[in-house]
Amino acid sequence: MQTNTSINKKTGRSINDAFASKFAKSMFLSVSALVILSFIGTRMFTHVDLNLYGYMVGTIVFIGGFFYRFIAWGERPPTKILIKKGLKLLKRKSTPKTAVNHLGIYDFIKNRGLYRWVQHILIGWGCVLACMVTFPLVFGWMYFTMDDNGHYTIVLMGLNLMTVKADGIIAWFSYNALNISASMVIAGVCMALHRRLKNMQARAEQKFIYDFLPLYLLLFISITGLLLTVQNVFLHGWMQPQMSLIHQFSVIVTLIYLPFGKLAHIPFRPVSVFARNYREHYGDQAMKECKVCGDHFVSVEQSNDVINVLGVNEMEFNMQDGFNLAELCLPCRRKYRISRFSGFATHQVKVKEANQNAKG
Amino acid sequence: MKKRLYLELENCIGCRSCLAACTQCGGHEERNRNYVYDVNPLVNRQTMPLMCLHCVNPACARSCPAQAIQIHETGAVLSALVEKCIGCQNCTIACPYGIPKFDTEQNLMYKCDLCIDRSKDGIPPMCASVCPSNTLQWLTDEEIEAKQKQFNLDNGKWVTSMPYLEGETNVRVNLPGILQGVTKLF
Repeated sequence: MQTNTSINKKTGRSINDAFASKFAKSMFLSVSALVILSFIGTRMFTHVDLNLYGYMVGTIVFIGGFFYRFIAWGERPPTKILIKKGLKLLKRKSTPKTAVNHLGIYDFIKNRGLYRWVQHILIGWGCVLACMVTFPLVFGWMYFTMDDNGHYTIVLMGLNLMTVKADGIIAWFSYNALNISASMVIAGVCMALHRRLKNMQARAEQKFIYDFLPLYLLLFISITGLLLTVQNVFLHGWMQPQMSLIHQFSVIVTLIYLPFGKLAHIPFRPVSVFARNYREHYGDQAMKECKVCGDHFVSVEQSNDVINVLGVNEMEFNMQDGFNLAELCLPCRRKYRISRFSGFATHQVKVKEANQNAKG
Repeated sequence: MKKRLYLELENCIGCRSCLAACTQCGGHEERNRNYVYDVNPLVNRQTMPLMCLHCVNPACARSCPAQAIQIHETGAVLSALVEKCIGCQNCTIACPYGIPKFDTEQNLMYKCDLCIDRSKDGIPPMCASVCPSNTLQWLTDEEIEAKQKQFNLDNGKWVTSMPYLEGETNVRVNLPGILQGVTKLF
């Protein structure tokens, strides 16, 4: 609490004084932004699809949970440093490439296995596609009008974007975007479930609540969503209103759950771009030399940040023989530990570490 | 009955069974997560294993910006959660023992998790199950205490803690040298 008061002592008025907390400020700003965008998008609230109001409420509850979780997470000392420095480094030339690699095509998952990569592409892009269709519809940022018979006008943010033939290819993709995304997610989730049920590596560590629940939730959403189409196309809309409520329920439950379970990695993942920028940028500036072997093993900046973070947690690895463990590269740190156990200065012997790659 | 990993360092014969066994643990994706070091490589054949000591207050988890390193209720400090690890490598730099390994291709840290799918049910971790020289053992606190009684100690200390380690750990490590004069059964 004392740190809070000292921060608040800063003189000069700021917009932050108007809010009780960071959470209140974030909530106010995002709900205001949603309202303003909807005001513009729906041509002053004249084109609101009230059939979707449940999603609207669900989204606002989700935003509350998201900020609660995200702000608590961002207050941790290491996270705070990374986010602060990562934002500063966003203008690096390599940012778009790293972002596409990490957030678009998931290169690092490909290296964990082609199967896992395919399943993740299907689930990830299926969900993104579904969100890009659903939320604009929910908040009225996108809707369709029919001025001439047989032609739809797509209205985006209140502007007539284009007029398409009702039985044309663009219109077909618009009607079926959610069916396509549902099929992608179902395929991906089935692959993931198959892996979790059959793969011994995965089976060793998985938990029902953490690893299976999000998959079942996604499956629940996708199947109920697809059923809506089935009911409309093949069953003349039989039980469609009921299924629509069930589908809405499944989406809202998942949205509320999202910031607190495995799916929380979706909003948090962009920080991996920050981390890569942070390592590359400060690695170019100055590298730290190991005090024993002289190897460059990490950037000076990152080393200092880690030392500071550990200092906040009252951890300091100063040794009796006058140096700090943070000054040693990792192999030397391990050898130094052996020397503490044995009394012989293993780290001073200029021999590469022995074979550590025994195969089973 | 809570059991701990207990290391009797000087028993190590350098067979690297622990490394091989580690690769076979479920969830380890056929890569080992521990180390075996020559103590004085140009002079003699003494080796010692170096494992994650599962600190009570782990520097790796404290330094992780993504909360990817979780602590199990048994006290085991788990490997990074694959979906959370953002590849910043803070943990490798924070660990006072240099234990976490990092895979740059997969952008993922991995470290000893005490074979949590085994040890959570009281089954010894792979390394302790295969160690032929009783360097790595899986013991209850009473058994560790009983071991203490076998030894003549001149300083009252027999397992390493401060100042030999940097903090309290869930793994117990003996102090080499104190086992002299004890007849070993293997």
